[in-house]
Amino acid sequence: MAETDRELKSRPDPDALLALAQQGKRGKLTVFLGAAPGVGKTYAMLTRARRLRQDGTDIVVGLVETHGRDETAALLEGLEILPRLEVNHRGKILEEFDLDAALARKPRIIVVDELAHSNPADSRHPKRYQDIEELIDAGIDVWTALNIQHLESLSEVVAQIAGVPVRERVPDTVLARADEVLLVDLPPAELIQRLNEGKVYLADSAKRAVDRFFRLGNLTALRELALRRTADRVDDQMVDYLKQNAIEGAWATSERLLVCIGSDLHSQTVVRTASRLASGLNAPWIVVYIERADREEGDSDAVRRLDETFRLAEQLGAETRRVTGSDFVDEILKLARREHVTQIVIGARRTSFTGRLFQQSLPDALASRVSGIGIHLVTDRDDQPPVRHKRLPKLNVLGAWRPLAIAAATVACAIALGLSIQLFIQLPNISLLFLLAVLISATYAGHVAAIAAALFSVLGYNFFFINPVRTFTIAEPHEVFALFVFLVAAVLAGSLASRVREQAKAARQRAISTQALYDFSRKLSGTAKEDDVLWAAVTQLQGTLRRDAALLLPEEGELKLKAAWPPDTELAVGDMTAARWAMEKQEPAGNGTGTLPNIAYQFRPLMSPHGAVGVCGFRQQDKPLDIDQERALAAIMDQTAIAIDRARLSRESMDQAAQLEGERFRTALLSSISHDLRTPLATITGAVTSLRELGDRMDPASRDDLLASIEEESGRLTRFVANLLDMTKIEAGTVNARRDWVDVADVVRASVERARKYFPGRVIETSIAADLPLMRGDSVLLGQVLFNLIDNANKYGGDEPISIFARQDVGDIVLSVTDLGKGIPAEDLERIFDKFFRRGKPDGRAPGTGLGLSISRGFVEAMGGRISAESPAQRRRGTRISMRFPITEARVAEKDRA
Amino acid sequence: MTADRILVVDDEPQIQRFLRPALSAAGYEVIEAVNGADGLKAAATTAPDVVILDLGLPDMDGKDVIAGIRAWSNVPIIILSARDRESEKIAALDLGADDYIEKPFGIGELTARIRTALRHRVEKEGGHATLSADGLSIDTIKRLVTRDGKNIRLTPKEYDLLVMLARHAGRVVTHKTLLTSVWGLAHGEDLHYLRVFIGQLRGKIERDPADPKIIRTEAGVGYRFVDAEDR
Repeated sequence: MAETDRELKSRPDPDALLALAQQGKRGKLTVFLGAAPGVGKTYAMLTRARRLRQDGTDIVVGLVETHGRDETAALLEGLEILPRLEVNHRGKILEEFDLDAALARKPRIIVVDELAHSNPADSRHPKRYQDIEELIDAGIDVWTALNIQHLESLSEVVAQIAGVPVRERVPDTVLARADEVLLVDLPPAELIQRLNEGKVYLADSAKRAVDRFFRLGNLTALRELALRRTADRVDDQMVDYLKQNAIEGAWATSERLLVCIGSDLHSQTVVRTASRLASGLNAPWIVVYIERADREEGDSDAVRRLDETFRLAEQLGAETRRVTGSDFVDEILKLARREHVTQIVIGARRTSFTGRLFQQSLPDALASRVSGIGIHLVTDRDDQPPVRHKRLPKLNVLGAWRPLAIAAATVACAIALGLSIQLFIQLPNISLLFLLAVLISATYAGHVAAIAAALFSVLGYNFFFINPVRTFTIAEPHEVFALFVFLVAAVLAGSLASRVREQAKAARQRAISTQALYDFSRKLSGTAKEDDVLWAAVTQLQGTLRRDAALLLPEEGELKLKAAWPPDTELAVGDMTAARWAMEKQEPAGNGTGTLPNIAYQFRPLMSPHGAVGVCGFRQQDKPLDIDQERALAAIMDQTAIAIDRARLSRESMDQAAQLEGERFRTALLSSISHDLRTPLATITGAVTSLRELGDRMDPASRDDLLASIEEESGRLTRFVANLLDMTKIEAGTVNARRDWVDVADVVRASVERARKYFPGRVIETSIAADLPLMRGDSVLLGQVLFNLIDNANKYGGDEPISIFARQDVGDIVLSVTDLGKGIPAEDLERIFDKFFRRGKPDGRAPGTGLGLSISRGFVEAMGGRISAESPAQRRRGTRISMRFPITEARVAEKDRA
Repeated sequence: MTADRILVVDDEPQIQRFLRPALSAAGYEVIEAVNGADGLKAAATTAPDVVILDLGLPDMDGKDVIAGIRAWSNVPIIILSARDRESEKIAALDLGADDYIEKPFGIGELTARIRTALRHRVEKEGGHATLSADGLSIDTIKRLVTRDGKNIRLTPKEYDLLVMLARHAGRVVTHKTLLTSVWGLAHGEDLHYLRVFIGQLRGKIERDPADPKIIRTEAGVGYRFVDAEDR
């Protein structure tokens, strides 16, 4: 259908060229078409295959049935034949075509006989033509053979001609998409002769029908069908050629067919007929079902039949639609105008004379309102029972009593009320009470109750209120008339009321499902996290479909089960294969589809604007989803796909933001390091060049100061480089803290001495407890840490003295360095140990490198201690950095000593 | 003649510590400012002859200091900057800074830049009809370019480009300034024009175009016409 659609839309057709270009990537399908078994399709195919093989073409035989005939078997010699797959089917070993082997072998051309063959139940595809489509998708050319009788649209015709039902059918689209169709022809008389000579192989089941089938008349009719089909195709190819070459030509009419179907069996005949008509006209065709807005299709058989008809139409290449509306004719006409339809095909049911009197038939109604559109009627076949009758017994017997009871009760009330009113006053129009009863019954219990109530009312009114009372006889003739008018009025009013009720019910149902969807979409829009989206979706699916549901998303290239209901669901291997198929091919797979139909689940791709984001699966049950469930499923899948897409995007943008943050941090870091390295270098370079070029013009004090600045800056540079190296060591995890016995007092004294050299004029006070035990550690690292802390205190401590304490606290040795500077805001207390963290520039003085405290922490932790900061330290000023080292081991050491 | 006054705006005490004695020894009077606000105030109150400005200041962006000064003064501004702050440097030059010097720098380099800036300040007031460098001379009245007495034929654009560079002899002229003054405002980003024309120009005026002596490339920033007195 898509094909024919494409062919007809516009004149110098880019789509036609596109289709041609796409054909380039796919494999080509060549069909050897025959009128009947035995015309020599396989023989023709193999003869050609041999010729190509001799020319060196990579051609292999995927599957050919020789049926023990020597002439065919001889042709196979010298050709590469793929081994067959042995399939155990109900205890019988069947030899089947090995699709995966063929895909793996990937020849240029593969020969696969019997296009119409059905695969055993556990195969990937139920039909061989689906296997072949997969081969073509994989870019392999396929040669195959087909008898005309197996074509779906001709199956009824063939059944009529030959009197044999055709079970194995191939959709017409398969033949329509074939790149080449070769007709293998044999005159019927010759075929019959071959048959009589035993040269035609027939399956056992067909042997019984052989006499009925292989008759000259049948074969001639089939031959005509095959010839005509091939001729049609040649015609199509001519049109294609004209279009691709932009030659103005004879394809002036662009017909479009609209086919109206219902849920009855007859509709399938309508569809087949329309398909033949469409292919004859070379026209695209739309199959439409119009759903009554006020009435749900309650009968599950009807729903199933409708689905089947739709599926058939799709297989035959139609575009299918479901339209909701109250006026059939109106909806059909609207659609026809919108789609520029030129012909309408509709099924006609033979109606009785009375039926025609009261109701205009749909074709008549259409005919009276369309203009310029042809209408084709496809009449019912006699031998098919009208479907309508089947519905009646289906009426719920138990439920049927309820409306009757309600009707009886309301009418009884009306009678009681009427009688009691009559005790007081004589009302002339007491019948209105009964009308009320009918309306109430209709409103609360539907049209069955309304009619029942009307009948009860007539009886009751007659019995209780019409003279002579207490009998069903009527004295006055005008009362008869009044009763008749009442009955009509009651039925009409009742049916109106019940209609309103049913519409209200339908509206309520719809409102509920709309509300459910609305709630779902709100839930989704509120969640940006993928997991939440998946959970919401899977519970919604389960709630709507009443089936187990599963959602699978690709993760690192593999499809993974991300959410399911029940939550502990595990998918079988076959299920996963179907899910992957659905994801890759972006089409439904699994139960109820053409791919892997024997697994428990059906999978459908979740399509977002950016392609398939995942797969949604649900466990199939006996009956397929009904229209409402389909609709809800489609809506949920759309919403879910978009929500997943959004969650992905938001996660990506968060990742990007984090990356950007990291980037910014690195930039800041780099510029701070380069500043720290460059300033001392600039000072040294500047001072040295100044001394060299202008030194003789300076006074000695200035010269000394420049030299001192060189020395200081060199020291600063050295410390910075040493810090960087230490940091690198800590980062690389190569700090090897020794575990010597360390006298803390010694280390403190040495560090203070060193600090005094660097920071002359700074007052440093020390206070060391006399009984301080030895600690286990590395005196060099500890000294470095202390110096770093003093350096820090010097930078941030203003002009106040720095104090160092060392004492024992419970099981720890505590060492602290305290300054009396401005202190550190509470929020920065933890961050000061972070690498390259620096707190502003307190007074224009150069801050440190942002490494000192970070290195200190690294070293302290390497020695098994802890370091922390507190601020304010004393008198609401200053900062105290404390280190704690455990002394448990030292105690042991003391015991040893003692 | 009184000593030229130099305002140094830099927050690094170490830098100030060596600049003061060095510049004093070179015969300049040095005024120090440790942040942008002080710098702007000092520029307004002390009437410096040259401003040396570090772009990385604690209180405000160095570029804002340039804009502030340029609002009322044409005093030459020399920028101290780091090599990794390319875009900042160009922005500063486009804002009206006259020259830049990268840290770390030798004092000789800095004093040369200061001398160029000071000389140019004098030229701005007078203006030369003839510009010359390395045997090349440009007569801006006759629009005549000669090299060692021989006439050199230049296209109008080449000539405009050469004069633009020569008028700023010794100082860097940014790509953008060159492009907008020679080709117009719409061509501020068309760097390829410049590459082509500078190449042509060098082919005509340089003794060895492969080793240009007259028009120097300041990578990523612009071009500098060599200063006749400073080579």
